[in-house]
Amino acid sequence: MLGAAAFAVLAIIVAMLVTVFARAWPSFSHNGLAWFGPGGDVDAQLRAMQQLQPLPGHSVYWFRAWPLIWGTLLTTGLAVALALVIAVLAAVFLTEFAPAPVKRVVDPAVRLLAGVPSVVYGLIGILAIAPFVNSHLISQHRKESVTYVVQLNGADLTTATLILMVMILPILVAITADALESVPPAWREGSLALGVNRWRTIWRVSLRAARPAIIAATILGTARALGEAVMLAMVSGGRGFAANPLDGLTFFFEPVRPLAATILQNSEGLSNQPVMHTMYAIGAVLLVSAAMLSLTGWAVRRRLGRYGIQT
Amino acid sequence: MRAPRLLIASLLVAAALVAPASAFGKRLIIDGSTSMLPLVQKLASAYAKSTGKPAPKVGGGQSAVGINDAAAGRVDIGDASRDPIRGVDPKGLVFTKVARDGVCVITNSSNPLPNLSQELIEGIFTGAIRDWSRVPGATATGPIDLFDRDAASGTQDAFQQIFLGESLKISPSATPESSEGLEVSSVGSDPSAIGFTSFAATINGGVHTVSLGGVPCTLRNAKSGQYAGVRNFWFVTKGVPKGEARKFIEWVVKPGNKTVRSIVSSEWIAIH
Repeated sequence: MLGAAAFAVLAIIVAMLVTVFARAWPSFSHNGLAWFGPGGDVDAQLRAMQQLQPLPGHSVYWFRAWPLIWGTLLTTGLAVALALVIAVLAAVFLTEFAPAPVKRVVDPAVRLLAGVPSVVYGLIGILAIAPFVNSHLISQHRKESVTYVVQLNGADLTTATLILMVMILPILVAITADALESVPPAWREGSLALGVNRWRTIWRVSLRAARPAIIAATILGTARALGEAVMLAMVSGGRGFAANPLDGLTFFFEPVRPLAATILQNSEGLSNQPVMHTMYAIGAVLLVSAAMLSLTGWAVRRRLGRYGIQT
Repeated sequence: MRAPRLLIASLLVAAALVAPASAFGKRLIIDGSTSMLPLVQKLASAYAKSTGKPAPKVGGGQSAVGINDAAAGRVDIGDASRDPIRGVDPKGLVFTKVARDGVCVITNSSNPLPNLSQELIEGIFTGAIRDWSRVPGATATGPIDLFDRDAASGTQDAFQQIFLGESLKISPSATPESSEGLEVSSVGSDPSAIGFTSFAATINGGVHTVSLGGVPCTLRNAKSGQYAGVRNFWFVTKGVPKGEARKFIEWVVKPGNKTVRSIVSSEWIAIH
């Protein structure tokens, strides 16, 4: 019975993988490796696909996903990097310094936040944060400076990254705090007994021992950020635009659109073959990325395991 | 003995699979305008549910595909989202109006633009006019924030066809929104925004709807044909519709059909 259940799960996963890759194939085979590269306006390519009117000189499957991949890397990378720093500091505070009453309130609150559906974050983003960024952080002058290239209106890289960070923060804090709690007291006491001060003990003993858990938390957070579609489709600006870091501060106010959000935004046109194959191709890229993420996590923890750190 | 028995069994299974499709008579085949696809798909499945007949098979393409396929007899009904053109369309076709489709141009309520001409709409949405100072009657200042819909959206397609035609394109720097609701809330929270939505979404939307050539964008003006931001949806048949095609078309255009009415009014404009 249990074996059958396990086998069924495995069969479903295999069937899903086969379907996704088989459906994704036409998009990859028409574009080759250039699929991942830059080349023209990705929104124009998607529009041509939706209307079944190929761009001049190209097949209807013509697709260059770089702006979307770049958008995914930017939002996920920045959000995870920020969240990691804040989460570690917050977890250290919660386990080492927080007075008991504070801990009693903050601990459950953090766990509760981890379960908030992403569409709620999206709503707050589009109704509160994006208008605020638009009217207070983006100057008229900045808007005018790029008006012939891209339009800045508050739904942008900054808004997307900040909300994404808030979304993945609770899970990082919760796991890191748990790991810090479970560091054997004797290790820390030993360190303190040798005359090492409190900060150094936290840094060299507690956080070191918690490293596998911090890595696991980072990977969980990255996976959530990578797969997040609804919130990002709402607040990231929705344009397949490759935000350019050379634009200085304006870079942070440029719109982006990550891969998962692209699938969501094109879901109305899925009855259309080229669009459907292209969306499956994006899905395949996300699947492979998630799988690689798990593998990386496993490899890193194995390496740490060699140095005697329990996982 | 085993092989023949297997053969008979598989033939029986095959026959059983084929039987339901043929038992209820022919399945209607419809194709043409992709703009009409969502509406016709909904109508087709509602038709199957309420009459017990097989649902017509609905495909996409373009209005020209629907018209030509109907003329050549490749489909029972062609979908066309443009009006018949004498001299261009093949002879002997009958166009039956099934619904209207239209868009309102919207701005933030702090910028109650009284009126826009076709030329100004073209200029603003293609990106030739990028500053509110060049739009007469605008109280907003600075760059125009242009809001578009996704390429897959029927409203986007309607706006494109009605206001910009085949040759002009919406400026690529416009922000595409993935739903009517998001479009309305984005325009509603950005003082320098302009965008467009279907008629249904402007009701209680908290945004300002812009008159076109002096005619307010209301459902009444759209139905009467005074408001220009409207197009017609047609079913095209070769000659007067016959048989199953006639039954389907009659079901769709019958004045008292509440099912059809509620489907059409969800996103489009009913003809009755």
